[in-house]
Amino acid sequence: MEGRFWTLVFVIFAAAALAACAVAPAYQLWFPGSGEALSTIGARIDHLFYVILVVIAVVFVGVNVALGYVLWRGAKQPSEVKAVYSHGNQTLEVVWTVIPGVILLALALYQMDVWASFRMREFYPQDMRTIAEVTARQFEWRIRYAAPDKTLEADPHPDDVYTVNDLRVPVNRPVAISLRTEDVQHAFFVPELRIKQDALPGKRIPVWFEVTRPGTYDLVCAELCGWGHYKMKGRLVALSEEDYAAWLKQAFEDQFDDGVGEGEKSD
Amino acid sequence: MNSASMTSNRRTVSLVSLGLSLLLCGCGDAPKARFSWSKETDDLTPMANAWVKRAVLQNFGTPNELVAWERLPVEYGGFAGTVTAVETVEGGGTKLTVKRGEGTTAPASARQLLWKSGARVDEAEPDGVASIVAGETESTVLMAQRLDPVPDVGDEFVLNPGNRLLDGRRSYLKNCMHCHGVAGDGAGPTARYLNPLPRDFRRGVMKFTSTRPGERVSRDDLARTIRDGIPGTYMPSFLLMAPEEMTAVIEYVRWLSMRGEFEKRLNDELKDFSRTAIAEQGKNARLEYEAAVKNDPDAERPPTADELATRAEEDFRGMAEDLEFVFVDAGDLMAGPWERADATDNIITPSIARVADTPESREKGRVLYLSQKTKCYTCHGSTGKGDGPATEDFWAITGSSETYPERGLHDEWGHLVPPRDLTRGQYRGGRRPIDVFRRLYAGIKGTPMPAFGGTGLTDEEIWHLVNYVMAMPFEGPSTTTANPSPTVATSR
Repeated sequence: MEGRFWTLVFVIFAAAALAACAVAPAYQLWFPGSGEALSTIGARIDHLFYVILVVIAVVFVGVNVALGYVLWRGAKQPSEVKAVYSHGNQTLEVVWTVIPGVILLALALYQMDVWASFRMREFYPQDMRTIAEVTARQFEWRIRYAAPDKTLEADPHPDDVYTVNDLRVPVNRPVAISLRTEDVQHAFFVPELRIKQDALPGKRIPVWFEVTRPGTYDLVCAELCGWGHYKMKGRLVALSEEDYAAWLKQAFEDQFDDGVGEGEKSD
Repeated sequence: MNSASMTSNRRTVSLVSLGLSLLLCGCGDAPKARFSWSKETDDLTPMANAWVKRAVLQNFGTPNELVAWERLPVEYGGFAGTVTAVETVEGGGTKLTVKRGEGTTAPASARQLLWKSGARVDEAEPDGVASIVAGETESTVLMAQRLDPVPDVGDEFVLNPGNRLLDGRRSYLKNCMHCHGVAGDGAGPTARYLNPLPRDFRRGVMKFTSTRPGERVSRDDLARTIRDGIPGTYMPSFLLMAPEEMTAVIEYVRWLSMRGEFEKRLNDELKDFSRTAIAEQGKNARLEYEAAVKNDPDAERPPTADELATRAEEDFRGMAEDLEFVFVDAGDLMAGPWERADATDNIITPSIARVADTPESREKGRVLYLSQKTKCYTCHGSTGKGDGPATEDFWAITGSSETYPERGLHDEWGHLVPPRDLTRGQYRGGRRPIDVFRRLYAGIKGTPMPAFGGTGLTDEEIWHLVNYVMAMPFEGPSTTTANPSPTVATSR
């Protein structure tokens, strides 16, 4: 009787875990926002995530069904039947080593493209443009853009445009930021785009993405960087090509405001 | 029941109660928060000290119980207007029809209702407001119980008085207090880890303003600082703060600054009653006596410290009648500049547009930079590195004959303040040309950076300097030193 109880405990626990995963998206406990990745590379990363999730789900279900079956059968067995010890079964061990090995290798090969296009310069999109230099510091994001119709260079230029905690990018076009930090390690993280990259002192790290939908997304720090880490948040505003150009032009004008003319702008 | 089980029962009971008391450890009323007093207040003789504290507490209250002093130009918030109709509703309630005052919107609910009948101020029962229906110009406020006394038509009323200040306090305690301290004294728990130190608001002085020389900070200036942060310091950007929250926190910061300034003004008035001043008096009297006794052995002996202290207390008692004036004066003298701060004509607007940023203009700026007229180079250095000769001097403490113990420039708060390295391209008060113009025009308040606007330099000259200074980060140091012009050579 007691054996059946434990069978049920294990089976119900596994079933509850599966059920919780299944309903999580409906309760906003899944990915942030709409649940959909809003960048091209993010969609590919999500795809990998789901492939792995399916593999894991199959294994999880299989293991739990097998566990439940063994427990149930063992519970029904009369107590005078002797147990069978299968320890040292070479065939079995080879099988359960080789199968996961093959799966892991397959996953490793399958994800290589995504990794390469996100992290390796040779595989970046051809038409990618670096639009901003993002400098993390305790506890904010300072951002530098090139003047309208100019290209961003590594060194600051007199006509650069600056913002803080406000990264604006055009949509449907691969753009890159050049990520730096002024002090300690930080991590540039835009959950809805699935973009995350550590910022390391002394390094200038390119991070590219192509946002697929205009909107305002959270930009947070994902590396514990000090006491104010939790408040190191900004926003990433994705705009259509025209809106972006208009905004940059306006930002440029505000940047070079001389206090004369149409008067003080408060924003 | 035998005795063994009784013992074990008792043990269980005591264990449970011990567990409960451990759980509740730290619960109960939080300790009352308080605004710290300034060093100067603590230095006053007991009577003067008690008087200053009473005056400040009476007009500003404590962090738990804020006082809204009407004399101050602070927008305390709340929904204000006039009563246009009063009706008694069946079932015992009162219905007020009200016309809203300018710039306020009716809240969805209210915790407090005050109204002014003639000279008398009445207050409704706490939480007596049952519902509010907001209209275009007229709104109705339904009270759960009959109001007694009943407001008259034409009475001024205010719902949720002080709401903005309370919202500001909430936001301040959440976002600012950690560094700037409960009283705005720049001594929050994190402050000791920061360099530069967080601003101490209590002098009523902020460094980065758009207002004329010597004027107070405007609300827009505070908004800009909160929104953009201050690069090169620990002040971060609060860009994502909701606009209403920012308005509220700005009002609270202004109010805290006024609280500190009021305390400081009272202290300045009562300087003679500080322990330091009395000790100084004693020292002088002793020196005088020592000089006199050489000629006249029967010279009058100097008063002892105790005698001086007693005399100070007597003098203070004698001043009792004047104190009322001191207090009112301090409030009025303080309110004026704060009131003025936001006026349009108080904001520096250049009389001419920015002079084109040409090599000629920069050259003119360079000559000015190195001239005796501006003496920029004495602090910022001839190459703009912030290493001018003045940083090697011992500077006098303001309002004292002594100098600071360490070399270099100091601000009003008594902290070492290195002149900005202009080649780094980091602008604490903003990097727009107008920001740099205003820094030059009005100086940086509370620091040795002087105001050049109006008298020292023309607006055109300031623009030349702006052009020169803003080009500095992009030019090699050689341009400022390799070929000093004849003017420079003679002026140095």
